[in-house]
Amino acid sequence: MSRPLGNPFSAFAATKYMENIFNSVIQETSDEVLIQQFKDGNKDAFNALYQRHLPSVYKRVRYVIPESDVEDVTQEIFIATLKSLSSFRGDSQFSTWLRTLTNHKVAEFYRKRARKQEPLLASFSEAKGRTDGLTAKMMEERMSIQSALQKLPENYREIILLRFAEDLQFNEIAELTDQNLEATKSLFRRAIAALREHLDETL
Amino acid sequence: MNKNSKIPNPTQDDRLSNFADQALSGRVSQIEAELDDELVGLEQTVLRLQNAFPPITLDQIPVKQMQVRLNARIRRENQEKKEPFWKKWFEPQARLQIGMAFAAVALMVTLAVFSPSLTTAGSSTTGTALTPIKNSFVVIMLAGLILITIWIKRRK
Repeated sequence: MSRPLGNPFSAFAATKYMENIFNSVIQETSDEVLIQQFKDGNKDAFNALYQRHLPSVYKRVRYVIPESDVEDVTQEIFIATLKSLSSFRGDSQFSTWLRTLTNHKVAEFYRKRARKQEPLLASFSEAKGRTDGLTAKMMEERMSIQSALQKLPENYREIILLRFAEDLQFNEIAELTDQNLEATKSLFRRAIAALREHLDETL
Repeated sequence: MNKNSKIPNPTQDDRLSNFADQALSGRVSQIEAELDDELVGLEQTVLRLQNAFPPITLDQIPVKQMQVRLNARIRRENQEKKEPFWKKWFEPQARLQIGMAFAAVALMVTLAVFSPSLTTAGSSTTGTALTPIKNSFVVIMLAGLILITIWIKRRK
C-alpha cells in the first residue's frame, strides 16, 4: 500500500523509522569506531558516545559531588572530552580514559571550591532546594559520605566507586585493575574500613 | 586506620564482598547478628553507602535534556571563540556604553579647552613645572576618567 504524499504523519513515521535505524547502528558501533568517525568530522559520533557513557559518568559524579553541582560537573567532563578527544590515541579503553578525566574534573571542582574557601557542607542548603524527594537527613548523610570519600587514598576511593557507583562486579574490577580477585576483595575491605574511620571522625 | 583492617583476612574479604553484592542487589537490608564486631562495623558502612545513594535507573537520568543543554553550550562556546573581541563593542548595549564614554570624554576636553578659568590666553608665563592651570586640567581629566570607569563598571 502506498502512502499519500505530503501526509505529515507518514513523514513523521518515516523520520522516526530512520532515527531508530540510526540508533541501532550507533548502538552496535564500538567506542573506537565512533572516536575515529568523530576524528573524521562526524559530529553525531560524539552524541552517540555521550548517550552511551553519560549514565556511568553521571552515577560516578553523583557519589562524589554535591547534588546541586552533579549536572554541571558532568557537562564539564563531556566538554573536556570533546576538546581532547582528537588527541585520544587509544592506548587504553575509552571508558578508562573517561574515568581518569572524570577524576581530574572532580579534583578540579574541589580545588576551585577550596580556593573560594567553600566547605563541602556549605552547599547543603543550596542543594536542599534542588533535590526533590531527598530528606534533609539523607542529604546530610550523603554529604558526610562524600566528604569521607574525598579523604580516602585514590585506590580506596576508586574501588568503592567502581563497585557502588558503576555497579561493576568484583571479577570485572579485578580485570580492569589488573589484579587477582583476592587482592581486589582485600582492597575493598580495607577501603570500606578506611571509609568507616573517616565517617566515625565526623560524628 | 584500625590496625585489624590492614591484617590480611581472606575470610572477612570474602564475607564483606558477598555482603556488598547482596546489598547492591537489594537482597540485604539489615545486618544479621554477628560475632565479629569488625565485620559488623564494615557491613554497616556498606549499608550506609547503599542507603545514602539508592541505585538510579537510566530513565532517572535526563539524558536527552542534558544532551540538548550540552549541545547549546558547545554552540555558544564555539560562537564566542569565532567572534573577534572587538565585535562585542558593537553589540547594542556595549555600543551605548562606549558612545556615552566618548561623549563624556569629548565634553571634558571641550570644557578644558574653552573654559575661561582654565585658559591662559595672553599669558607669557613659561616654565617646565606643572602650573596650577595644568594641575587643574589633570585633576579634572582624572576625576572624569574615574567617574567613567565607575559608571561603566556599574552598568556591567
